[in-house]
Parts: sequence; C-alpha cells; structure tokens
Amino acid sequence: MRLAYYPGCVAQASGKELDMATRWVCRSLGVELVEFPKFSCCGSGFSDEANEVLTVALNVRNLALAEGAGLDLLTVCSTCTGMLTLANLRYQDPKVKARVDAALAPLGIQYRGTTKVKHLLRVLTEDIGVEKIRAKVVRPLGGLKIGAFYGCHLLRPADELNWESAEEPHAFEDLLSAVGATPVYYRGRVMCCGFPIQFVKPDTASRIAGRQIDDAKVHGADAMATPCPLCHLSLDAYQNQAEKAVGHSLDMPVFHVPQVVGLAFGASPEELGLGRHLVSTAPALAKVGAGARASP
Amino acid sequence: MTEGTVKATFDIYRYDPGHDRAPRYQRYTLDLAPHTPVLTALLKIRAEIDPSLALRYSCRSAICGSCAMQVNSKSRLACETQIGPELARDGRIVIEPMRNQSVLRDLVVEQEPFWRNYDKVQPHLILDPRHPMPEGSENPMTPEEVERFRETPRCIACAACFSACPAVEADPAFPGPMALAKLYRFVVDPRDQGHQDRLARIQTEGLWLCLRCHLCTEACPKDVRPSERIRDLKEMAVAVQGGTEHGSKHAIGFKDNIRDRGLLNEMKLVRQTSGVVGVLEQLPQGMRIVRKRPELIRKPHRIEGMDEVEKIYEALDRPEEKP
Repeated sequence: MRLAYYPGCVAQASGKELDMATRWVCRSLGVELVEFPKFSCCGSGFSDEANEVLTVALNVRNLALAEGAGLDLLTVCSTCTGMLTLANLRYQDPKVKARVDAALAPLGIQYRGTTKVKHLLRVLTEDIGVEKIRAKVVRPLGGLKIGAFYGCHLLRPADELNWESAEEPHAFEDLLSAVGATPVYYRGRVMCCGFPIQFVKPDTASRIAGRQIDDAKVHGADAMATPCPLCHLSLDAYQNQAEKAVGHSLDMPVFHVPQVVGLAFGASPEELGLGRHLVSTAPALAKVGAGARASP
Repeated sequence: MTEGTVKATFDIYRYDPGHDRAPRYQRYTLDLAPHTPVLTALLKIRAEIDPSLALRYSCRSAICGSCAMQVNSKSRLACETQIGPELARDGRIVIEPMRNQSVLRDLVVEQEPFWRNYDKVQPHLILDPRHPMPEGSENPMTPEEVERFRETPRCIACAACFSACPAVEADPAFPGPMALAKLYRFVVDPRDQGHQDRLARIQTEGLWLCLRCHLCTEACPKDVRPSERIRDLKEMAVAVQGGTEHGSKHAIGFKDNIRDRGLLNEMKLVRQTSGVVGVLEQLPQGMRIVRKRPELIRKPHRIEGMDEVEKIYEALDRPEEKP
C-alpha cells in the first residue's frame, strides 16, 4: 500500500514522536509513505474562522498534490483529517469552487475532487484490518486498560466525516483489543479535549481536559490513547493544568495511536519517542514488560 | 410476553432534591412492541406502575421540544426515539435528565439558564426606530436571502445542544449553541439593523468559547447544525471587527502565521494571540514542555512551493474578498 503522507504541523515539530511512531508502524506493515515537501498546514479549524475560502483553497492545493500522484492521503491528526475532509466537501459548493479555482488556475493547479482523506486509525482498522494487526503482535499489551480518546474532528460532523457512529464508535477499541489491551468505555472518549480554547481561556480548557481524563480514570483506565496530536497536547502536555482544574492528581499516561501499535509490534520505547511525553509512560510500559527507560 | 413484543428494561433516574439525599436509578420492566417510542413507554410506566415519575412532554410529535432527555447517554427527543434499537444495542434503556441543567425532579430540569442565554442574544428583529415601516407595508426578502438561514428556524428549543455542549458544562460565560445559532439567524437577516452591534457584543460575550467540537450538531434532532453557524459568526465578526479578542486574534494570527513558511510556527502563534504579556504568563508552562520537546521554540522549515501559497494568499486574502 502506498499513501501520500500528510504529517501535519505538530508531528513535524513538538509532536515529533507521533511521526517517529507512524513511520515505524507503517514500515513494519509494509505501508509505503510517499513524502510531499509541498504540503502546507491544514488551518486547524482556526484559519477558516478568519478566512474560510482561503483555507479551503490551501487545502485543495494539498489534495491536488496527492491526486496528481494518484494517491490517497494519510493523516495522523484528527483535526487535519477534519479540515481536509471538509475542504473536499466545501469545494463542491459552486460558489466556493469558483473562487478557489480562480486562485489556483493561474498556478496550474486543477483538482478533480478524487483524493480520499484517511486517518491512520482508519487505515489500520479498515484497509489493513484488525486481524492482520493481531497477527503481527509480539508483545501483547495484556493487562493494560486503555481509554480511547477519539478527538472531535475524526468523528464529527458524522454525515461529513462519513466513518463511524459519532456517538458510539468502536474502531479504536477494536484496535486496542487486537493488540491485547483492554479498552475502557467512558463518556469522555467522544468528547472534546479543550485544546481549541487553550489560548482563549486556559482555565476553561483545562477544566474540559481534566473532566475527560478523570472520566477515563474513574472507569479504570491505566492509560489513554488518541489519534490526535492536539488532543495529546491537551491531555498530556497540559495535564498538570488539568490536575489543578479538577483538584487532584491524574497521573494518566497518554499514547499516540501508532505508539500503542508499535509497542505491541515490539518497538522499543525509544523508537516510539515515549520519553518525549510530559506524563511518564513508565508505569504503563512496566505493565506490558516494555521496560521503564522511556520517561524518567 | 404478548406476541410481537419485547421485554424492555428501563433504568430511570429518580431524584427529588427536596427529599432525596442522592439520585438513584429505578428499574421498570415492561412488555412493549419494539417500535414503541420512549415517551410512550414512560407515560405507560407513569399511568400503570408509578404515578410519581416526573417528566416534561407535550406534543408527542417532535415539534414542541419538551421531552428532550438522555436516552442511553445520548440527547434525544423521547417521543421520536424507538425502544427497539436501544434495547438491541445496550440490552436496557437508561433514562436520565438533560445535562448542564439542574434537576428539579426526576427528568424535569431547570430551564432558566438556557432561556436567559437565549434572551441575551436579543432573538428578535432590531429595526431602526428612525425609519418605521409605513402602516400596511411589507419588508420582503429574496429567496437567496432566506437561504442564508435555511436551517436555523427549524430549532424547537429542546436544549439538546445545550445539554451536549462541553463549553456550557465548563464555563457559564458560554451562551450555548442554540442561542448562538439564533443570533446567526438575525445577523444574516437583511431586515435586521443591529447586526454590527450584535457581532461586536457577542465577541466579548462568549462567541470564542465555542470549541467547534460539533457535539451540538450531532445532538440536534432538527439538523440546525449550530456549530457550523457559530463558525460563520466567527468569520463575520473577524471581517467586521478584526482581532479584538483572544479568539479572533488567534484565528487571524493562525491564518497569517501559515503565510510565513507554510507550516505553523507554534511559538509565534502564542505571541500573535496573547501578546507579550500572554507569552510571559505562559512561560513556565512553555518551559516545562520545551524541556521534553525542544522543537516547540524552533521555527518550522519552509515548505517547498511557498510561491504558490503566497499567490493563493494574494488572490484570496484581500479585505474586499471577505464575506
């Protein structure tokens, strides 16, 4: 399988461990990642609030690059997935299309609208399939209770994302079961992480993050896992703020999706960048016999 | 069990704040046809088993919006939710009151905060008193003008969106999806003369607390799609007023940020949104993160084809191009 790899901004910068783990897992599954050095930022749901047509045009340029190579687009971020998928749909609006085309035509960019946007989680569970994943497991994550945290833009709006039930998804939990972990079901798994208002009203953002982490904890999770590096920032890098908001410690390690799969496939914590997390993953790693060298 | 019926187990939230020390769940089991609406089942329970069960309802036809409640943790109108699929999936039906509103008794919640937020957006046409409409005259709109708010008048004020909203849950300053969708409806109404003031006010009264999580759009039984209209409001507020609040500064800053290198410069965005004071406030947290993730303070690389990105900005980011 060959896919146009769209890592997004965070996985190329402060969330580099997501990129490391994605490459490791794709290599081990024989998925070829084709690089596009011309890909630009998706806008993250912010730039369209300042100028939607501009944001759609930038994303149509991204989609056209993949289309030109005859490849579907692989994302590793719920928000990138949402923005690129919505750009595909907004581009079907004749008024939007006319303005976007007028801006792109002088650059020789044409888009026929054929690029499919697929998140890694969807590729793993739909295209590769949990059975093939299960067959490759050498280090089952037995005993580890993981709360999946989907991230809004992978699920909603459901009629536009056109994937799982937005209220009762199960692909992520199926994947967790396939690698030997025990999925934890809790209300927060489909809720918001609070990150979009981290810089607008930090206290409110932390209350929202704290609520979801606490919900996972109350339901018995040893760790959480997320397909979105922005959720990861909110749940991991800002977990100390979330602890202040809920008034008690949370100590919740948060994995990226390919880190969970990579661990089960035998990758070392170093190869998956687990030492880069703010909340130590060591207790969770100890439970699956993956050593405790990752996060001091 | 009668033919064509299923054994339906209901676990219903019961709470009388004046008398009960804590809420409890009471179990009722009935034989019902799978297509029975949840509301019909609840009324049967109240009529035949337990007359003390308190709930709100009226039209039984998904028009009045009174019977919104949580059915197996999802915001639903009880009158249009059949028991069959719920039982097939979960084996039982858990009925709880709406969230984000305090419980008066059982399934009946206090609606005052919901309506107060609604009133705050002035949900009516604001006309200029200096130019009263002549007696007997009309103020028609074109089909295109009406099309701009095609979805919003469908709202039946059931509060399903208010119940589902994490911003409402976390911050009383957020007016909620329904109030903002209603505000949108008047902002784009060509007959309304208050839209500049409306946009200016809402920027400081909670607009930018929307998380764009789309939980409201999923919860809405009438497909009003509040999250999408809130996004439209934000873009209009930016067009009219520019960056006056952290939220609008963040949106504009993000858009301008990508123009530099094609990828997001995370550190620069903090400065664009929060200014120097904000950067200083966030310094301790930033340093904490940088220790593990040094890339946070590095500029991203410049993507290839920046000339194309720049030309797209030149074509579409001119003031006259804005909505």
